[in-house]
Amino acid sequence: MSGEIVLSVNQLGKSFKEKKIIENISFDVNKGEIMAILGPNGAGKSTTIRNIMGIMYPDEGSVTFHHYKAGTIPRHKIGYLPEERGLYKSVSIMDILLYFAELKDYPVAKAKQRALAYLAKFGLEGKEKTSIEELSKGMGQKVQFIAAIIHEPELLILDEPFSGLDPVSQEVFKQEIKDLANKGTAILLSSHQMNLVEELCDRLYMIHQGSKVLSGTLAEVKKDYANFKCSIHGDNETALLEKIPDVQRIEQNGKQSILYLSVEVDIPQWLKQWPDGIQVEELSIDRTTLHEIFIEIATGKRTKEGVRHA
Amino acid sequence: MRNSFKVAKWELKRNIKNKSFIISLFLTPILFIVFATVPTLLENSDEQESVHVYIKDELNSWSEMEKVLAALEVEWDVNMTTEPEAELLERLQEQENTAYIALTEAALEEGKIQVYLSENVEDTFTYQLNGLEEPLRQLQLQKLGLSTEEIEVLTKGVIFEEVPLTEAEETAMGDPEGITAGAEEQLKRIVPGATAGIILFSVVITGMMIFQSASQEKKEKVAEIVLSSLTPEELMNGKIIGYFGLGMVQVFVWMLFAIPIITWFFEFPLFSYLVVPELLLLLFISFAGYLLFAAIFVGLGATVEDMNATSNFQAMVMMLPFLPAIIIGPVLSNPSGLIAQIGSYFPLTSPAILLFRLSVLEEWPWVEIIISLVLLVSSIWLFMKLAGKIFKTGILMYGKNATPQEIWKWIRQ
Repeated sequence: MSGEIVLSVNQLGKSFKEKKIIENISFDVNKGEIMAILGPNGAGKSTTIRNIMGIMYPDEGSVTFHHYKAGTIPRHKIGYLPEERGLYKSVSIMDILLYFAELKDYPVAKAKQRALAYLAKFGLEGKEKTSIEELSKGMGQKVQFIAAIIHEPELLILDEPFSGLDPVSQEVFKQEIKDLANKGTAILLSSHQMNLVEELCDRLYMIHQGSKVLSGTLAEVKKDYANFKCSIHGDNETALLEKIPDVQRIEQNGKQSILYLSVEVDIPQWLKQWPDGIQVEELSIDRTTLHEIFIEIATGKRTKEGVRHA
Repeated sequence: MRNSFKVAKWELKRNIKNKSFIISLFLTPILFIVFATVPTLLENSDEQESVHVYIKDELNSWSEMEKVLAALEVEWDVNMTTEPEAELLERLQEQENTAYIALTEAALEEGKIQVYLSENVEDTFTYQLNGLEEPLRQLQLQKLGLSTEEIEVLTKGVIFEEVPLTEAEETAMGDPEGITAGAEEQLKRIVPGATAGIILFSVVITGMMIFQSASQEKKEKVAEIVLSSLTPEELMNGKIIGYFGLGMVQVFVWMLFAIPIITWFFEFPLFSYLVVPELLLLLFISFAGYLLFAAIFVGLGATVEDMNATSNFQAMVMMLPFLPAIIIGPVLSNPSGLIAQIGSYFPLTSPAILLFRLSVLEEWPWVEIIISLVLLVSSIWLFMKLAGKIFKTGILMYGKNATPQEIWKWIRQ
């Protein structure tokens, strides 16, 4: 990580009527870094992004791009792929891409060159004169992605970039996002696909009900929040399993039991402390995944108070 | 403003490339020409063959009368006859579209020329017969022994002619072309007024497309990506400018059709009546009218996602440009009356009513014009502000059409 801060979000807050949608949202995005903003539906991710983009105006806090404050931010240096996707249906792909490039003050000739290169890269070669209504949904998303990056932005904001994409297209997008970051573009993305976030992102910021619940590099989050979990297949009473030390929570489904363990647990020692009578047909011990952390937060099984911040 | 022009350019380019716009652009003047000419052509095609007319010319005057009818473009299939009347009438009963005219000394003295008609003679024949009235009257007067001068004086008759005071003064001051000058002055008001009216009509009609454009931008969910590059105000202003340009392109194309026809076909010196200082004010009024309605349509368009589910409220707003049609009757009968004045002050009717009044009034009521323009410009400012507030929130609201209550809430924000 180069460490040069491109985007700085500080104490951002936004309310609709009396309801706080986001509160005290603060993070930075550095040059060449991929930062993920995560959270369940309605957590406030898109609101945060819309406030950064200046599409909405925050009630509290500030957004800084390099040294530019809100209102003076040069929008042409930012690329944006909104969650609500759409393009002018009856217009050709090239016309749309050139229009968006022009809105970003990007030279037309260069934009045309880049558009053709990206269309070829995304398997849309020779389709520049095709109108959007003739494209499939996935192809349309590729065009939208190209529109977001055609002007070589310094900061790229992608709201749910992988939603609706097939696995092949997801791979293409993932690779392109990585390439852009390697070339120095600061990337902020929101996503529900935790496996992709784990593969792609350098840092993450998770929000729930408008507030931060955890943040840090992937390694930090894993270290601090990804506790061990022990899966046991066997005919065991809950009362018996509750006698095992350092168990925070138990989930049971028939003969399958999952024990969520406390962070400090030392697995070899812990196994020695098991009470007699526990039936084990199969046993496995893993770290909880980012996906599980996300689910726990989204379903309220892990609260803000129950989580230590990195 | 630079961003607004980028949007304007895009809207203009996008619509000019649109097939339905191109078709309507050329179809409108063609339809106009078709509607203006086809009824006449059909009327002519419906014309029956010429009436067969038997003439008994005891007066030896038919050759003179024939010239008069020729001048009136009346075409009869004439047969001179000396047959006895009873035989002719018998024959007439067996024929169709045939007439018999007996020009006899007795009939001339009595002042009653008998005309016998067979079946299926067009009504127009009776009107054509009126063309013979003057030569027959001259013949009557000749029989009385009057001189040619006396006959001329008598046939000229007496007419009453209204002369406006201003023209009377000009005539009294030795302007021999006073009446012609008056008519020219009138044309110098009507021609620019009509031109400004056509421009207002065209730009307001394309202005209605802003509604569709804003609504489409919502429906196609493209607004957010556009708004990441510019402000809602810039987007809104760009649309207004773009569709104004589109309206002007439409006017230009219509003019390309109209000017040659008017100038060469009708031999009417259009430009000498059109290019007058008054044109500037009339154009200003039509542009102001566009801005007013464009603000309404762009704001309203941002509240509608599904055109098929628009409420009565939105449909009623779309009818606003046609409001002047309600009061055009009283304004037509009295262009200086109270209703005409109220129509000039009320912003939604002001552009059309002002253009109409300034085209027909000989003296422009400057105080009324200034009050109307102040009210109109203030209304444009207010409507633009309101449209900006509605557009800003409405364009990003996906999924449903806004209710009047929601619109009111956005205005108050």
